[in-house]
Amino acid sequence: MSVRVEKLEFEYEDFSLRIENLQFESSRITSIVGPNGSGKTTFLKCIGGLLPIKKKSIFIDGQDISEMKGNKRARLIGYVPQEHGSLFNFSARDFVLMGRAPYHSPFSLPSDKDIQIAEEALEFVGLAAQSEKPYFYFSSGERRLVLIARSLAQRTDLLLLDEPTTFLDPKHEIEIMELVKKLAEEKKKTILITLHSLELALQYSDDMVFMKTGRVFAFGKPEEILTESLLKNIYDIEMKIVGYDGKKFILRSLSAKKN
Amino acid sequence: MSGIRTKKIGLLSTLILILPIFVLVLSLTIGSYPISPKNLLKTLASGIVSVFKHSPPSIYHDIVFRIRFPRLLLALAVGASLSVSGASLQAFFRNPLVNEYILGISSGSAFGAALSLVFLGKGFPVQLAAFFFAVIAVLAVFLIAGSSDAPIVSLLLTGVIVSAFFSALLALVEYFANPYALQALFFWLMGSLSLATWREISLSLPLMVLGIGVLILLRWRMNVLSMSSDEARALGIDVRRENMLVIVATALTTASATAVAGIISWVGLIVPHMVRMMVGVDNRRVIPLSAAFGASFLMLADDITRGLTSFEIPIGIFTNIIGIPLFIFLLKKSAKVWL
Repeated sequence: MSVRVEKLEFEYEDFSLRIENLQFESSRITSIVGPNGSGKTTFLKCIGGLLPIKKKSIFIDGQDISEMKGNKRARLIGYVPQEHGSLFNFSARDFVLMGRAPYHSPFSLPSDKDIQIAEEALEFVGLAAQSEKPYFYFSSGERRLVLIARSLAQRTDLLLLDEPTTFLDPKHEIEIMELVKKLAEEKKKTILITLHSLELALQYSDDMVFMKTGRVFAFGKPEEILTESLLKNIYDIEMKIVGYDGKKFILRSLSAKKN
Repeated sequence: MSGIRTKKIGLLSTLILILPIFVLVLSLTIGSYPISPKNLLKTLASGIVSVFKHSPPSIYHDIVFRIRFPRLLLALAVGASLSVSGASLQAFFRNPLVNEYILGISSGSAFGAALSLVFLGKGFPVQLAAFFFAVIAVLAVFLIAGSSDAPIVSLLLTGVIVSAFFSALLALVEYFANPYALQALFFWLMGSLSLATWREISLSLPLMVLGIGVLILLRWRMNVLSMSSDEARALGIDVRRENMLVIVATALTTASATAVAGIISWVGLIVPHMVRMMVGVDNRRVIPLSAAFGASFLMLADDITRGLTSFEIPIGIFTNIIGIPLFIFLLKKSAKVWL
């Protein structure tokens, strides 16, 4: 499935997001990077239909998402939030099962098939053995996996992940990113992911979107668009791109203020 | 290990679900005129047969069918109503401290009852006045908070403000009331099932059943509604419409229960939590089991008010005297089920 963004505009009180033309294709991971407050999450939420956007600005396979009903949209788009905001300690299985909600009316109950789909989603993220464990008893890395499993249970072609690696240690960061890669490769999902870690973005992205102050500064394959001047422009500090072991790495100058 | 836990929860759920039947039968024997289980069974049997044979009713028959049964039916329905509303609103507001009166229903209905008892006399029945002002209070909360899409906090805050306003009005009415009216009002405010006759029940019961029915049907959806609104939206929920549905159903249920039984506080807070402590937080279990457990709980509390003394002690007192220690016991024994 392909996602097309056309003249997307969204305004908060003192912030505006304006994005001219972007297109995302299936089996590709696109990471959205940029400093805090650059509009990464807002952009992701607009695509996810979580914010009220104008008509004819985001299309999925040619269909305008602003005209879709909630449950139809939720069968096409999965959204994994940064944090989960409930108070009740649902078991991982009950939690993931909620991903089946878009396939049901408000008054119906999940079927055995739904439960099976939820179990499969937990299996895919490697938590099948702990499906009875309550959500808040998991570590923060595992909680991200449970959140991802819930959106997998939605069986959507488009998957949006909002900073899924923030607050995780290096090993868990890699685990999440490997899972995301597997989803793009095996399940042919179109994946959009916001990231703070340029290192991870560089290693795992097929495409990158560089954002600042609600605008897109660059979009394309990392090897084609990534330059030191772009990084300086986006983050306001000096960064070096170095090659090591056949891969590119980004190093930052630690005396940011002097530059 | 997890398998054993699932089995244990399943067994416990079944027990809670059939508990109201046993409590109902037990409660029919209790009262100022004790009826032995044997005589109760005979009376029940003759009650069913008399429909066909027109056999003359015994004194047992009158006590069981005209006095105790309507009253217990009311206790059952009110207990279920308050508990299911409390459970739903806690999920909906994502707040374990919320009770069934959070949207201003208790103070609205209290003011209505006061108005009727103090100024309007018999012309305007207490129940009708209480229901009317409970609905006014919920509507006021809605209008002030903007719409049902208003952020959860503004709804909560508005509920508190509207409650405070009606409490002030209540105090004003109390100030001008004569001592007899004040005594009647005081009694009403602590909750009582003594008004139960078939007439009262025929008015309020259908509304309670309707509200409870809707909330029970929504039980799985309530899990999704207890997520943040971004998450609920991402899961395809029409948040505005479904929030409205929950609020209307809980308001209807609580207002009808409160109108006939007065303010029986804390039931909607402690019963759902006790249920969660026993079976976990999944609302597919919590909502229907809150109905069953709340119904049993209120029938038992009413047994004490009827059985302990020859005069009536308001039931609201006993719901707390039994409920709170039970709550503390479960709190100490069970694992934490919310954050």
